[in-house]
Amino acid sequence: MRLRVVIVDDEDLARLVVREYLAAMSDVDVVAECANGFEAVKAVSDLQPDLLILDVQMPKLNGFEVLELVGRDVAVVFVTAFDQYAIRAFEVHAVDYLLKPFSAERLAAAIDRVRERLGRGDPLPVKELAAAGQSGQEPARRILVRDGPRVHVLPVEKIDYIQAQDDYVCFRCDGKEYLKEQTLADLESALDPAKFVRIHRSYVLNLDRLARVETDERENRIAMLADGRRLPISRAGYGRLSALLK
Amino acid sequence: MHPILGRADRLAAYLAAWAAVCAFVAGIFTRLGLTWTEALVLLVPLFLIYAFVCLSAWYVSRATPLTTTSSLRVLASSILASAFASGLWLALTNAWIALLSMTTAFAPAADRYGQQLPFVFAVGVLLFMLALAGHYVLLAVETAREAERRQLELELLTRDAELRALRAQIDPHFLFNSLNSISALTGSDAPGARRMCLLLGEFLRTTLDVSARQRIPLADELALAERYLNIEQVRFGSRLQIQRRVDEEASSCLVPPLLLQPLVENAVTHGIARVLEGGLIRLDVSRHDGRLAIVVENPCETDAAVQRPGGLGLDNVRRRLDAMFGRDARVDTRVAAGQFHVELTLPASVRTE
Repeated sequence: MRLRVVIVDDEDLARLVVREYLAAMSDVDVVAECANGFEAVKAVSDLQPDLLILDVQMPKLNGFEVLELVGRDVAVVFVTAFDQYAIRAFEVHAVDYLLKPFSAERLAAAIDRVRERLGRGDPLPVKELAAAGQSGQEPARRILVRDGPRVHVLPVEKIDYIQAQDDYVCFRCDGKEYLKEQTLADLESALDPAKFVRIHRSYVLNLDRLARVETDERENRIAMLADGRRLPISRAGYGRLSALLK
Repeated sequence: MHPILGRADRLAAYLAAWAAVCAFVAGIFTRLGLTWTEALVLLVPLFLIYAFVCLSAWYVSRATPLTTTSSLRVLASSILASAFASGLWLALTNAWIALLSMTTAFAPAADRYGQQLPFVFAVGVLLFMLALAGHYVLLAVETAREAERRQLELELLTRDAELRALRAQIDPHFLFNSLNSISALTGSDAPGARRMCLLLGEFLRTTLDVSARQRIPLADELALAERYLNIEQVRFGSRLQIQRRVDEEASSCLVPPLLLQPLVENAVTHGIARVLEGGLIRLDVSRHDGRLAIVVENPCETDAAVQRPGGLGLDNVRRRLDAMFGRDARVDTRVAAGQFHVELTLPASVRTE
């Protein structure tokens, strides 16, 4: 089976050496080279490659974030120069990785292992690695949402609220809505608990957007947002909200 | 070393105190009918000798330090020692009186003085006790000073060790990425690979070389930064541009080694490397009114998501400047319009030869 590979690294020379190594392998085709994570997400969407050779340290979107966005669609071999944090994550989750500078043989061995894994059909622990990439910076400061070939970066302070919709969560941010495949519980644990509060089974609210709390004729509490929107508050949600507002 | 005998100024003060006591006692004797001459001839040699005898109180105070000896023992040893010293003094006094009795001029005075021997003994005990108390005070002062000196020395040593450790930090990320660039160039551009090896070698050698020195001319530090940036330019290509402006008179200033280097490294690793399209690093070094100002500016990530620029390297610079200049040096940083700006100002010192 021929592998269709995309090389992702922000440094020209780092891509050059990988391309050179891969050119000597008979059953590998390099279908694209990407200088950043956004290009990588687009390449995965447009070209549907089998494998990303993915640098961990890149501007704007790092390797873990790219994995979080595309990890279900493609196999990944990570490359890093020196990042003890990333290396620990790879070790913990038994993920193969390459340390710069590496030899052609080492790259070939990593690709062999990818083939084995693809043959067995076991995927990378995407969720765990993405979490490992996040936990360096305690509460998430931005949310990445993939929309086909595009990546939206939502700074958390611009998010009004998040609504659970089946297997997805919907972010209301800057007057637009963004869908992401994630559970509300996973998302909630990544956000700053002092800023975001679960006011209802289906809603997480940015506390800064709350104008006031009203009670309707049936004794249900309603969160009135600064832009006039109304969100339901459950009994447990009201408990959490009042604890935060105290 | 004896704290009084060992220092001329203290010995002079000690003897002056004794002269005053001697004059006072002589004054009492004039009231008892002796002339000033007779009193002084009698007393001065005795007091002079006893002054030196009382210096032995130092050994008593050392043998029974207040901090580790019971007060009863201190009291007992003080009484014993002063009685012994005063007894010695009494014997001396007797001998001196016997000597003076043989002269016609001082024989009456000596006889009259001979009747005051219990008083002489009491004064002797009192004076020795006073000397002993004085020595205890001196001992305490010396101990406190020694402790202070050790503390200062320790602080200096700690600081020195810290400085060494800070200087020794060469970013492993930089090293491995540079090696990877060399590995890449080897296949396609052998002369480029060689040039990179040479740059890296020079950079490492200069780093080690300047680390061993206390102060280096700013020109050397600038040359080091230049090499570093040349290496990073191979890595980042067109994403890294550099603009520098250096005052002639600033480059001769002496600065602690590897002061500028962490700022330049930050500008690359926290700036250029995190901005998709890269950008310009601006380096400005100037000197006026006896102050040296070093400014580094670089584009930085404007997303709220990326951690604060600066980091560990800048903390180290701040601490080193603080250890060396205290409030005379400043480190100011600000982020404005997607640019990170850091400015060091410190006293401009030049080679004094």
